[in-house]
Amino acid sequence: MDRPLRRLFLFFALLFVALILQLTYVQVWAAPDLKTNPANTRAVAEQMKLERGVIVSADGVELAVNRQEGEFFLREYPQGDLVSPWLGYNHQRYGRAGVERVYNEELSGQSGLLGITGYWNELLGKTRRGADLKLSINMGMQRVAVEALGQRKGAVVALDPRTGAVLAMTTYPRYDPNRLAELWSDINSNDDKPLLNRAIQGLYPPGSVFKTVVAAAGLETQAVVPETTFVDTGSVAAGGFVVNNYGGNVYGEHDFTRAFASSINTTFAKLGVSLGADTLATYASEFGFGKDLPWPLGGSKSSFPDAGDLDKAHVAQVAYGQGEVLATPLQMALVASAVANGGNIMRPYLVAQVLTYHGQVLDETEPSVWLRPISAETADTLRSLMVKVVESGTGTQAALSGVKVAGKTGTAEVAQGEPHAWFTAFAPADDPRVVVAVLVENAGTGGSVAAPIARKVIAAGLGL
Amino acid sequence: MSLRNRELVFLVPALVLTTLGFALVYTQKASVLTWTSLTYGALFIVLFLIAHTGVRVLASRADPYLLPVTALLSTLGLVLLYRLDEDLALKQAMWLVVGLVAFLLVLAVVRDLKWLAKYRYFIGGAGLLLLLFTAVFGREINGARLWVDLGPINLQPAEYGKVLLIVFFAAYLVDMREVLTVSTRRVLGIPLPPFRYLAPLLTIWALSMALMIFMKDLGTGLLFFGALLALLYAATGRFFYVFIGLTLFLVGAVGLYFLFPHVQVRVDIWLNPWADPTNKGYQIVQSLFALAEGGLFGRGLGQGYLVLPSGKTIIPYLETDFIFSAIGEELGLVGAVGIILLYMIFFYRSFRVAVRSRDDFSRLLAVGLTSIFALQAFLIMGGVIKLIPLTGITLPFVSYGGNSIVANFMLLALLLRASDKAA
Repeated sequence: MDRPLRRLFLFFALLFVALILQLTYVQVWAAPDLKTNPANTRAVAEQMKLERGVIVSADGVELAVNRQEGEFFLREYPQGDLVSPWLGYNHQRYGRAGVERVYNEELSGQSGLLGITGYWNELLGKTRRGADLKLSINMGMQRVAVEALGQRKGAVVALDPRTGAVLAMTTYPRYDPNRLAELWSDINSNDDKPLLNRAIQGLYPPGSVFKTVVAAAGLETQAVVPETTFVDTGSVAAGGFVVNNYGGNVYGEHDFTRAFASSINTTFAKLGVSLGADTLATYASEFGFGKDLPWPLGGSKSSFPDAGDLDKAHVAQVAYGQGEVLATPLQMALVASAVANGGNIMRPYLVAQVLTYHGQVLDETEPSVWLRPISAETADTLRSLMVKVVESGTGTQAALSGVKVAGKTGTAEVAQGEPHAWFTAFAPADDPRVVVAVLVENAGTGGSVAAPIARKVIAAGLGL
Repeated sequence: MSLRNRELVFLVPALVLTTLGFALVYTQKASVLTWTSLTYGALFIVLFLIAHTGVRVLASRADPYLLPVTALLSTLGLVLLYRLDEDLALKQAMWLVVGLVAFLLVLAVVRDLKWLAKYRYFIGGAGLLLLLFTAVFGREINGARLWVDLGPINLQPAEYGKVLLIVFFAAYLVDMREVLTVSTRRVLGIPLPPFRYLAPLLTIWALSMALMIFMKDLGTGLLFFGALLALLYAATGRFFYVFIGLTLFLVGAVGLYFLFPHVQVRVDIWLNPWADPTNKGYQIVQSLFALAEGGLFGRGLGQGYLVLPSGKTIIPYLETDFIFSAIGEELGLVGAVGIILLYMIFFYRSFRVAVRSRDDFSRLLAVGLTSIFALQAFLIMGGVIKLIPLTGITLPFVSYGGNSIVANFMLLALLLRASDKAA
């Protein structure tokens, strides 16, 4: 071989060697990083080859199903935006959210017993199929809650106080999980934040619904009884801050029951100051403030300021739910559920059962107590106070004929716009089966805006 | 063992392997093995045995390894296309038949390479005409003007034009090598041959490059440029020409970078595809993901994630430019390096033809054809694994594309003819 040919041969051989080196680099050395690169959606797409478990509501309505297309199973959500805030989505491009994310292992058949049988089925040549989920949601109530909230920014959540089962939960605005691709850029940039589940992620000043916690602290510490009398002059000064009643009302001499039913700010400011920051902080914590929601679906932590940071003026304000107190609607529902359930807050849950596709139960949620903030006696007393709210107080619009409803209104003042309207309630008052919390942003008073929504949801929950 | 028997011995396992591949993909798709999958394989065994018989008759002393390697590459490509899209595989199979017919025709017509050398100007003119024809009548697809519609058939004349031009330059350089190595004057201290000898070479070179740039067919342009440089170096043995060529290339490349936005985009994507992984960098980024997914041993034929639920391939142009990524994912590093080794074997055998040939023309022709073949394989494989910027060309014999298949079979026929003389 002459020299030019030899050199040419070497040159080309080097090119091929370079190919092999680069290929080895990409396929072996860089592969782990490439596989976990955020732009790499292959893992999600890969799971689309598995038949994902179906998700149904407690009353048997299909919430997430599959449509087979070639070797892929495409996820479809027959109920659309009705359930999207907590159901979430499973999307080859945008990943997962909500129940679809949190229960992905079960739904895709990777966890526990089903994993093994899943692999066995695969060996036998059967299609691998994930586990089904049966939720605690009652679609009848869910539809009513969605309709009742309408197109107002806010949230509704309903629980069974005896078990913690979430019966309905909605938020507005929402998104249709079937149209993620076309909506994606909008729902991510929209100022109204349609991806935010306000029921568990939204933090709001609770306003007067927080008086339930303050009243519980007063009653439990025996600082006050329903018959304790107070005198209201329309305002009270606390550490240089003047507390006024909502709407400038003056109530004169009244007992604690009336103070709770009519939501008299001055009386609660006085009670708060006499209880002190430490007691208030302790009870807020007992009711779950400052704690993560005790379930896998996440959400925001409701907060109560540190006792040490509260001077007299601030104590007076937090006593009627203003100042630095922030709560999620679910948190306020849990507070009401303590009253409804003899002083015990049950752990909330959304997934009741994990099932194989022939209906064999793999896992079942056992109701369990999360917190015991107050005694059964205090709960009883508070219950009668809350009944008065609906009978003759600020919450009369939540009243139902034939069923005694207990509730508490909240009208939380905000820096800008109308106040947030709150209402928490449960019914029947003597044997509560449904707890509801309603929040509507910048909408007016709790009694006029939120209470009617709660009434409709309770009626649906009790089959009225 | 005789050369042809050796060819047969290597051909049979190559084709059995492919039949196995078909069966494998078929069972993946339909989960049962039927005769259809096996008849596909059998058909190509018969087809390549006919080609083999043709070589026995027409070029009995030709290289025995080139045809089996080609058979393995082209039927492996077919298996992959069959796995991606059965309709595409059927079309490719028909093109493969056309390619083999063209292969036998070239072997039958070109009984002696001297005949080619004799008509070198006619051939060079025809090559230029083909390029000119595309430039004038071509239809632009995906930003490059490559296609000429002839009724139901889409012709890519540049594929054939480049082979013809290589034949011309090989013949021309045989004439001129004496003159080109004797320099009569110096310009700035650099020895240069008389301009009148250089003129035709430079003219046709410049003309063909200009046409390819005009058609925005940069892949073919680059191939052609590289192959000519290799040819010039092999003919003259002067590194000086290579130096000038590379300088011209650098100047041209920088010029193109600033003149053409799509060249700029190509280079920018190569430098950092992660700047825009869902849009501009999508194709190369997805190619890297596919390769990473394949890892060492691959996911198995038919097991990779190549096709979206919508039926589109996840990597655009997977069946043509990016077929090597599919190989990397499904057959892994082992399989992909195997493909590279097959090209190396092809390259080695055809280079050997050049080394062992007795006359200058077949030597230079073999160098030219080998260079264009090896460069094409390198440019596209290097492009999809992000070794070099991507140029949209086919992977010889493997990618989907009728013109590429037919042109490469003609190239193979010429190499076998040259080797027949060499032995």
